[in-house]
Amino acid sequence: MVEQKAVDTYLPVLLLLIVGILFASLSFVASGLLAPRKKPTAAKLAPYECGIVPDREPPTRFPVRFYLVAMIFIIFDIEIVFMYPFAVVFRQLHTFGLVEVLTFSVTIFVALLFLVSNGALSWGPAKILTKGMPSRTSDSTIVRISAATSTEQAA
Amino acid sequence: MNPITVPSISYFTMAPMLVLFVGSVLLMAAASLLRHRLPEVVSTATSVLLGLGALVVSILQWDHLIRHGSSSTVAGALVLDGFSVFVNITVSCAVILTALVAHDYLARLKFDSAEFHILALLSASGALIMGAANDLVVVFLGLEILSIALYVLVALNRKNEKSAEGALKYFVLGGFSSAVFVYGIALTYGATGSTNLAKMGTYLSANVVHRPGLLLAGIGLLAVGFCFKIAAVPFHMWTPDVYEGAPTPVTGFMAAVAKVGGFVAFLRVFETAFSTQQSTWAPLLYTVALLTTFIGATSAIAQHNVKRMLAYSSINHAGFILLGVVVLTKAGFAGSLYYLFTYSVMAIGTFALLGVLGGARDEDHDLTSYRGLAKRRPGVALSLALLLLAQAGMPFTTGFLAKFGVIEATVAHGEIPLALLAMVSATISAVAYLRVGIVMYATHDVPTPVSDGSSFKDRAEGSLLLEVEPVATTHEVPVAPTTGLAIGICLAVTFYFGIAPGALLDFARQAAQLLR
Repeated sequence: MVEQKAVDTYLPVLLLLIVGILFASLSFVASGLLAPRKKPTAAKLAPYECGIVPDREPPTRFPVRFYLVAMIFIIFDIEIVFMYPFAVVFRQLHTFGLVEVLTFSVTIFVALLFLVSNGALSWGPAKILTKGMPSRTSDSTIVRISAATSTEQAA
Repeated sequence: MNPITVPSISYFTMAPMLVLFVGSVLLMAAASLLRHRLPEVVSTATSVLLGLGALVVSILQWDHLIRHGSSSTVAGALVLDGFSVFVNITVSCAVILTALVAHDYLARLKFDSAEFHILALLSASGALIMGAANDLVVVFLGLEILSIALYVLVALNRKNEKSAEGALKYFVLGGFSSAVFVYGIALTYGATGSTNLAKMGTYLSANVVHRPGLLLAGIGLLAVGFCFKIAAVPFHMWTPDVYEGAPTPVTGFMAAVAKVGGFVAFLRVFETAFSTQQSTWAPLLYTVALLTTFIGATSAIAQHNVKRMLAYSSINHAGFILLGVVVLTKAGFAGSLYYLFTYSVMAIGTFALLGVLGGARDEDHDLTSYRGLAKRRPGVALSLALLLLAQAGMPFTTGFLAKFGVIEATVAHGEIPLALLAMVSATISAVAYLRVGIVMYATHDVPTPVSDGSSFKDRAEGSLLLEVEPVATTHEVPVAPTTGLAIGICLAVTFYFGIAPGALLDFARQAAQLLR
């Protein structure tokens, strides 16, 4: 019977599900029972920063360019996922496969184009900062960065 | 090595989704290659034209379908049948209407209009894939294309905290429900040995499953995944927050396209693959439908924010559409499809009006800001009142016939208690719609701000409706021609097909008959 076999194959999945649920619920129960009941102190509520008591507020705004780079990475990561099996069988797929993969690559490339046109890869100083500057020289950039670090230290 | 046989591909079946998808990629390329921002007119016009193109192709598909019957392509993964063409036509209409509604809105809130249209077109193409998918993996593919674009669309108003909150909630819960759905695919694959809906159906009708645990768990998980997408209770928690947070045209688009895609895939999966197991899953969906209609209706009454109220009302509507899935008869399908089309049109029209009434920053959605609207803006108030009454199920509108259709099918199937209770919920939800009407018509103009020193907190809860911060009539947004056109189309469709329903009813009936 196919069902019989299928159930046997999926039994570990069911077991894992049960074990997972048990582990999660037992963890909660155990921590509820074992944890010392003491009132939270300021030190306990503070964000954990490698054990060092933070002496200033953590910065609230930070550039999100890294996320964009991560997104570009994922796009091409997924492209490779499809490229690799294609490369293995591309002789058997003939022209059809080539056209399909080219269409796919073009779509991916347009997505990259859109990201780049939206400034995903502009690593220079932010546009707002350069607005008032006559031209971006090494001087102005250095001044700006040092000014930024000094204000950061002051804060 | 064995040669790989490429399955035959009918590009005609895929034409509407290809039109929308290729169009959005081209729009994306144009938006990125141009030095300046793409003008709003260009992206709106592209979107409308692509929607029209998809609509024309869909009508050609309908013609082909009537003459040659349904067919499947790409090794049975995609089908051309009544359901798929119905989705194609409904979603194409929704794309056109949304593009018209969004045109003025995007310019007003200074959003990147190309970005909106690209995402909306992609999302719509995902809905079309869901509608034509005859394989669970393809259903999932469509679901993700539809959803991922919607997550971003909801977050479009990124300066608004509620938009970000809604998007994050939608993303996290949507990702979670997708995972549940995939797990359901895995389990049903294990139980039946295929992800192809037709093969699953054949297997289940030819074999009696002795130990059905795996299959039932799979069906249950798939149902949960679908119920999340269509916002059925108890998987509806995200709906009010997302509907409220999303930019208003996006809310209308979501209410139309996500529901159509989700419901038609739901219908197809449960009819084609699991109709033999109806006795086991029908009680579950029966309960879900009942809860959805009731919780949607009762919660809608309690809302002060009109967008949230409409979110709950959309849950109530989802319960009605679900009746067609519960009974799983041709009449039920016809009722559900008709309901989906008419609800899409009404929802886009209603949210278009809300987008206008939301003010310059799309934030004034509190019921109090609607006070005396009939005097200040009679046209807008009348349109909104008519669309809300249509949603409540007023005779001579499509809303009435939609409710009538699903209830009739439910009664014909012998589920009389369910039909009665659904009708009771419709009465309850009518209170929520009428309340908006009363606030617009029966109250006088905005009262002067309370200046006798008593703050809001001193007032009783019940009097909250009467005291409002003065609504600055200065940033009242005029109805732009494009928005007006879209609202006009929605009203015309709602009333024309409410008075002369023949064509649309026949369309839904035939679409339900022509299921592959």
